[in-house]
Amino acid sequence: MEVDLRLRIGIVMIALIALAINPPARGGQSARDLVPKEMLGWKSDGKDGLYDRKTLFQYIDGTAEVYLAYDFRQEFARKFVKPGQPAIIVDAFDMGSSEDAYGIFTFERESGNVGIGQDSEYAAGFLRLWKGRYFVSILADKETPSTRKAVMALGKAIASRIKATGARPKMLAYLPRENLIHNDIRFFHRKSGLDYQFYISDQNVLDLDADTDVLLARYKLGDAKVRLILVQYPAEESARNALDSFVKAMIPDSRDGVYRLEKGTWVAAKSSGRFVAVVFDSPTEEQARSLIGSTLESVAKLLAPRYVPMKSGTTRGQTEPANPSYPE
Amino acid sequence: MTREQLSITRRDFMRGAASAAVAAAVGLPLQAAETEKRSRVVLIRDAGVLGADGKINAAVLGRMLDQAVAKLMGEPNALAAWKRLVKPTSYVGIKSNAWNRLPTPPELEEIIRKRVISAGVPGERVFCDDRGSKDKFAAATALINVRPARVHNWSGMGSCLKNYIILTPKPSEYHPDSCARLGEIWHLPVVKGKTRLNIQVLLTPHFYGRGPQGYDPRYLWPYKGLAVSLDPVAVDTVAAHLLKTKRIKYFGEEQPITPTSHIQVADTKYGLGVSDLNRIDLIKLGWQKDILI
Repeated sequence: MEVDLRLRIGIVMIALIALAINPPARGGQSARDLVPKEMLGWKSDGKDGLYDRKTLFQYIDGTAEVYLAYDFRQEFARKFVKPGQPAIIVDAFDMGSSEDAYGIFTFERESGNVGIGQDSEYAAGFLRLWKGRYFVSILADKETPSTRKAVMALGKAIASRIKATGARPKMLAYLPRENLIHNDIRFFHRKSGLDYQFYISDQNVLDLDADTDVLLARYKLGDAKVRLILVQYPAEESARNALDSFVKAMIPDSRDGVYRLEKGTWVAAKSSGRFVAVVFDSPTEEQARSLIGSTLESVAKLLAPRYVPMKSGTTRGQTEPANPSYPE
Repeated sequence: MTREQLSITRRDFMRGAASAAVAAAVGLPLQAAETEKRSRVVLIRDAGVLGADGKINAAVLGRMLDQAVAKLMGEPNALAAWKRLVKPTSYVGIKSNAWNRLPTPPELEEIIRKRVISAGVPGERVFCDDRGSKDKFAAATALINVRPARVHNWSGMGSCLKNYIILTPKPSEYHPDSCARLGEIWHLPVVKGKTRLNIQVLLTPHFYGRGPQGYDPRYLWPYKGLAVSLDPVAVDTVAAHLLKTKRIKYFGEEQPITPTSHIQVADTKYGLGVSDLNRIDLIKLGWQKDILI
């Protein structure tokens, strides 16, 4: 009996360890479940691939790093073939969270929404979309009227199979709206993302890592396109240290974190709480300070607890926590 | 905005302690003491090398390579040039590139193989491969390094410098920091001192890519060229400049890509060649329309 009890305890422990290592997907869906086997005469070539964080390199060596810089979990690849027609490749990524699915979608965004999933874009036989925690890429070897139809149909079918939508990153709400170029917002975490989008240094001057959330946005100020980097750190001390690191490395002679470069544009950097904001390529000092100021004011305002007036039947009002949301 | 515009000038960011890595990464000019070395790159184009259907005209391609190699070596003809590049006793590996979206054209592989044989190397001592032949490349005494120019997520550009990465025991070890250590590969025994010629295939360079496949067919550019050099750093510098210039012309500004800083690092840290366009003697042959350099 004692042996039987020990055996049962052992089995339970093994099961718990297995769950900890490989938790079941939320909603019970794997990326494989999302992709149909046939669409408008294109059929699976039967050589599907399923990849995780360790094996993704084997499939998409050169681009794997982009996905691994997010909370990527699993990727399912299926090639569709039809006699006499260009092939179509579907890649469905479980990005671990809707925020990271949004992030990988924005990483290479070029154009406006074509109305599939929560965001999508299409050009030249290439459809990209995200919904919930999934990002999907569908690429035809060549765009023809037939492949275009099949690609769009596949996208709609996959989106309909994704059961849940998901939230965009909360910090989108902190971006000032005036003059914001909406298709030019990027969300990522690590230095590799910043290097790709907007290289500033080979040193990690902003202390970016898996625990930081980064927005890179662009604003049109007259003829100029001004960059804003907004970083959320795990703690205030981390943010202060990152600001110090950036200023020391990049603009050591700045005054109050504001500096005019030789080419005539302005850089400004400031922190507030757990956030650091940096502006690049501002045409004037005033505009740099204004954009930084309005961004951090927005952060402070949206993060401040709200006082809710007294309801009937109560003797006093209540304070609600902040709940910023990105207007769609 | 280009990285050079962003990173501005040495004066802005390098007061106090110098940062050579930053300097290399942003492509700033080298100090005067290092500026004597120059390298030659021959860029040749022919409007007839690709048909309207995109198919390669092998005869035209062969003539392009012959002219370019002869000019590079300062010889009156290609045969004389190839005889200086390889010897009858050489065991020649043609290190190609098999990326399925834009492989080295088999027509070019065959042309190179024939030229090597015409220079006196027996046919059984010439092989052409990309992956799966590490032992053969290790045994080779001469290498011809040839690959198509394209953007690359790890290194910014699929460079001649990067083309040998597959010959290392663990290629992924060279990926960090935008593949800054690629130059180190050229000092490994499998490769060191063996490269006789570097060819960047610019027939249809892929100047920008997207998605998990790293490929967007809109950004294939029928440039119809080849760039050849004895210096891998120089030929990669020219190719990277072309791709960047094309992106700026096409999009109106530079696009997000991984920095191609490994090319400058191959110069400044590993001493493999010249990464400063001002010290590259670029010889342009053939079709000049929209040459962009």
